[in-house]
Amino acid sequence: MLEHVVNGLVLGGTYALVAMGLTIQYGIARIMNLSFGDTIIAACFATYVLFSVFAINPILALLIVGPTGYVFNLLIYRFIMKPLVARAPDEGALEVDSILVTFGLLFVIQGVLLVMFGGGYTSYSFLNSPVSMLGTVVAGNRLVALVLSLTFGAVLVGVLYRTRWGMILRAVATAPQSAPLFGIDTNRAARTAFAVGGALAATGGGVVSMFQTFTATAGVVFTMKALIVVILGGKGSVPGAIVAGLLLGLVETFVAAYIDPGLTLAAVYTVFLVLLLVRPNGLFGKA
Amino acid sequence: MSAQLEISNLQKRFGGLVAVAGVSFSLAPGEVVGLLGPNGSGKTTVLNMISGALPCDGGTVRVGGADITRLKPHQVAKHGVARTFQLVRPLPTLNVAENVLLSLAFGKHRHWGKEARDRVEEKLEFVGLAGRGQEKVGNLTYIDQKRMEMARALASEPDLLLLDEWLAGLNPSELRIGIELVQHLQGQGMTVLLVEHIMEAVRALCSRCIVMSAGEKIAEGPSAEVLQEPAVIKAYLGDDHA
Amino acid sequence: MTMKTSHAFLLAAAVLALLAAAPLLIPDYWTGVLLGMTGYVTLATAWAMFSGPTRYVSLATVAFFGVGAYTVAVLNETLPYPLVLLCAGGIGMVMALIVGFSTLRLAGVYFVIFTFGLAELVRQTVSWWEVNITYTMGRYVFLPFEGRHIYWQLLALAAATFLISWGIGRSRIGLALKALGDDETVAAHAGVDVTRIKLLLFVISSTIITLVGAIQAPRWTYIEPSIVFNPTVSFMTLIMALLGGAMRLWGPLVGAIPLFLLFEWLSVSFPDHFSIILGLLFILIVFVMPEGVLAKIETLRKGSPK
Repeated sequence: MLEHVVNGLVLGGTYALVAMGLTIQYGIARIMNLSFGDTIIAACFATYVLFSVFAINPILALLIVGPTGYVFNLLIYRFIMKPLVARAPDEGALEVDSILVTFGLLFVIQGVLLVMFGGGYTSYSFLNSPVSMLGTVVAGNRLVALVLSLTFGAVLVGVLYRTRWGMILRAVATAPQSAPLFGIDTNRAARTAFAVGGALAATGGGVVSMFQTFTATAGVVFTMKALIVVILGGKGSVPGAIVAGLLLGLVETFVAAYIDPGLTLAAVYTVFLVLLLVRPNGLFGKA
Repeated sequence: MSAQLEISNLQKRFGGLVAVAGVSFSLAPGEVVGLLGPNGSGKTTVLNMISGALPCDGGTVRVGGADITRLKPHQVAKHGVARTFQLVRPLPTLNVAENVLLSLAFGKHRHWGKEARDRVEEKLEFVGLAGRGQEKVGNLTYIDQKRMEMARALASEPDLLLLDEWLAGLNPSELRIGIELVQHLQGQGMTVLLVEHIMEAVRALCSRCIVMSAGEKIAEGPSAEVLQEPAVIKAYLGDDHA
Repeated sequence: MTMKTSHAFLLAAAVLALLAAAPLLIPDYWTGVLLGMTGYVTLATAWAMFSGPTRYVSLATVAFFGVGAYTVAVLNETLPYPLVLLCAGGIGMVMALIVGFSTLRLAGVYFVIFTFGLAELVRQTVSWWEVNITYTMGRYVFLPFEGRHIYWQLLALAAATFLISWGIGRSRIGLALKALGDDETVAAHAGVDVTRIKLLLFVISSTIITLVGAIQAPRWTYIEPSIVFNPTVSFMTLIMALLGGAMRLWGPLVGAIPLFLLFEWLSVSFPDHFSIILGLLFILIVFVMPEGVLAKIETLRKGSPK
């Protein structure tokens, strides 16, 4: 029982971490990035390469992977999203365009990974020794993953709620129309938010790769899970994403442990579909 | 004679905010009545509840004797209620004629085919857009878009027309054209509820006015008298002028 | 009917006759290509019927397609074939009604994600069911059909789909669809029962898609969830309709034919690069011709490029 709780929290911690990235992209930049999960997977492979080829400690590798994710997403925003934002006559048109373009990106990233690494399951062994904790045994890498996720989450919440820069981002998230009236450059805020979201995705990918196997085609599943968490937690809400992420991790672990591992994904989708129908604004969102 | 429109004790809350607090009034057939009030007084909310765009939290709406309180917008339309929108809302993928045809096809009588096309031309002619049915709505000037929206509203062959600041944003000469159009409708016996800020239009068109402030009806009566009432002036201009 | 439309009908009938005669004249390989192409032309046209005017980007295509194929796989030994098809169509229709009822108030990205999630959910559930309840990993479809028999059925379905699409385009429902794609509120106040029209179109479109899956089922002989619920089907359908232009009757056809041939060639010559090229195509279409090829040609011809 306790074992499942810990495992659920570890899994949930990484969900929370990546979902924070997506909620920032969607809530502030207002672009639904469906290639989000593929950034995560790309980061998994990058960490794997850094570890197995260059013998770089995965924790240190985050310092390379995270900033790379930032730059990569900054470029995507600048060269792909910006022109679409500029030409869109209304929000609906932008939404459809960005969905289609990020689908395109999804396939491109996935295709590049397939060409480079093939379609098989990949993993590496890092800190795989068992650690006993709270009367149960957990793999060391999982514990590291949980600590890392919570640390990054805490830092992000701190930045968003304690700094001027965070306040600007939150202002754009709540009132995109009025923010410019206070001298906020919404364009820049959107670009930064998109890039920060990408950095979080990449960091999350690095963390996930420490304890999970991954394949080039698993990006979509991550996108879906991140989306579930975002919608559960309320679009644009970072604390909501953390709570919802942990919750999803627990649900998944418990379904796998007590019902049937083959039904985990089905359970996740069911939760998600029901949620979309009943509370499209999230459990913590405004009705 | 029974009322064309009769609303009684209409209520609407948005969360804790009371937008409309028990408003009642009625319009006799053929009457053109102004619904006035400062911004945020609840006029458009009343209009939205009549047309079915917003569900009512209380009260009833009757049109020609029939209770339409709980009906959806398309059902309200079939009861002979048509409306325009505060900001013009042309349908850009349809041309001018198709915009109008839509209301004919789904309005009270569901016209289609040749007969519907003839009626479209008739409506366009009435609003002053004769022969311009094949143009893209995006190419119309502002006043012409307003005309088209009026034609679209009339095409559902309503008994009651709700005009939500239809005259707003027009220049003085366009305003005169707009007022004449409504007068024309008045001549044909149409019942019109006019939400309006432009006093010139209200004086020219409305024999009677209803004034709302903060969700309540504060005055009702002949336009000339109502607009002189201290409560009305206070609601519009603040205490100093009362 | 005007002269112009009756001419168009004659031409369409002639082309149809020619296409129907084709398998008797060409090698089997090319009949197979024609078959696959007709399948995608039908899928894209049916998809565009609903998603074009309403702008609800649906990724549920493969959910219906797969359900159609699976119905045939499950029932082909117990019922006569026409009844199997009828069952498949019926199941697709009921599923579309349920899905439509619950989802059509979701707009934009939520609808996209819901439909994608739905397809995955159906696949997961069918897989789980087969493994744990019926203990079958895959199923066999034994029907005495050759490629050309399947092709003729698909051709008939394609023709029916075009007729339906053409009919809707000329009816008041077509007008209402375009209107609600522009502005649902205005359409509703003009008297259009927005929910009903969306539901109707979703059901028609999904039933056709289910039938495409059902008719194509015998072609695989062996069927398992990962084959018939492959999400690529949804994406290919979507991009074909977009390339040609989802707002026009012939748009999906114009998009489906070249893309089908391209993908066919790619999967043989560059199987590993398939995904990259599909992705680049998506991006390219959005940037270069968001309204589709037909609209692009029209604006170029008028000499007023946007």
